[in-house]
Amino acid sequence: MLAAEMGANENGIKGDREVQRVRTIIVAGQSSDRTREVLRALSGFTNVVWPTSLESALAQAGSQDAGCLVIADDLREEPIDEFLQEARELQRNLPIFVITDPDDVAEAVSAMRHGATAVIEIPPSYAALCEEVSRAMQ
Amino acid sequence: MKDLPQTVFVVDDDDAVRDSLRMLLKSAGVHAETCASAQEFLTSYDASQPGCLVLDVRMPGMSGLEMQHELNLRGLTMPVIFITGHGDIPMAVEAMQHGAFDFLQKPFRDQELLDRVQRALVRDMDNRARLRHTDRIRERLASLSPREREVLDLVTQGKANKMVAGDLGVSQRTVEIHRAHVMQKMEAGSLAELVRMMMAVAPSP
Repeated sequence: MLAAEMGANENGIKGDREVQRVRTIIVAGQSSDRTREVLRALSGFTNVVWPTSLESALAQAGSQDAGCLVIADDLREEPIDEFLQEARELQRNLPIFVITDPDDVAEAVSAMRHGATAVIEIPPSYAALCEEVSRAMQ
Repeated sequence: MKDLPQTVFVVDDDDAVRDSLRMLLKSAGVHAETCASAQEFLTSYDASQPGCLVLDVRMPGMSGLEMQHELNLRGLTMPVIFITGHGDIPMAVEAMQHGAFDFLQKPFRDQELLDRVQRALVRDMDNRARLRHTDRIRERLASLSPREREVLDLVTQGKANKMVAGDLGVSQRTVEIHRAHVMQKMEAGSLAELVRMMMAVAPSP
């Protein structure tokens, strides 16, 4: 069972059922080491949600409470670019950050073409991710 | 006026790259011109010339990214395809954030570049058609009298003639006459078409 399905994980990250009426940082990604690393990097923020499904992630990205969307990892059911495009169509001005492997320039360019605000390579740029998210939430 | 042919401008300081790209584009039936530096291109470029740019990122003097910045400052909307042998993600992201059409790492397959060039040329054609359309709307707007412009603004906000008359302190008949002039000068067949025209020239949010 994913941490989000249980309500909250060991980092205090809240799941679907605990979404508050504050602007949320939505992390999308399957249950993987990278997604967990991203969640850990964002643990300083109190309003991070990790939706349990892509439908839920899109619904949250389309809501008025959405502060930014971080696509942390491959999404099993859907290619990242399509998910990105759908999210962008829902909210034209929503900051969307895509995490990629270092040096995957082609993936980064593709993500930018499909509506990403920025692409961040991880590792090593956890600080850059936090900076981008902070700026987006201001 | 006869349309100018689309041209692919290749800007790269490497002679061999310029020559091979020119040959490749020529073999695909695409007209290409080459420049050895950003400065050379910026000095000779005519904004009315349709086409796209294939631009090296790293060049002595002005880099490709600096040239893109300069093009943006000049309001030139020609699609830019960056090519580089030393690209990284921050560089690619910066180029795309500033409006690059694409960013390609060397070595690339010939067909890969040709496909992207074709897409960029289509994009440029669409951009220019859109610009011509909005220019025509602006010309028509400029032909309206101040009163006609006021009527236009109010009716495209959804106000009925009676409300427009009240807002402007004139009779409903006068509004009807102004409105007929507006429709004629704007060459609009319906209020919906008029609204679409105004949306096309409205500043982006």
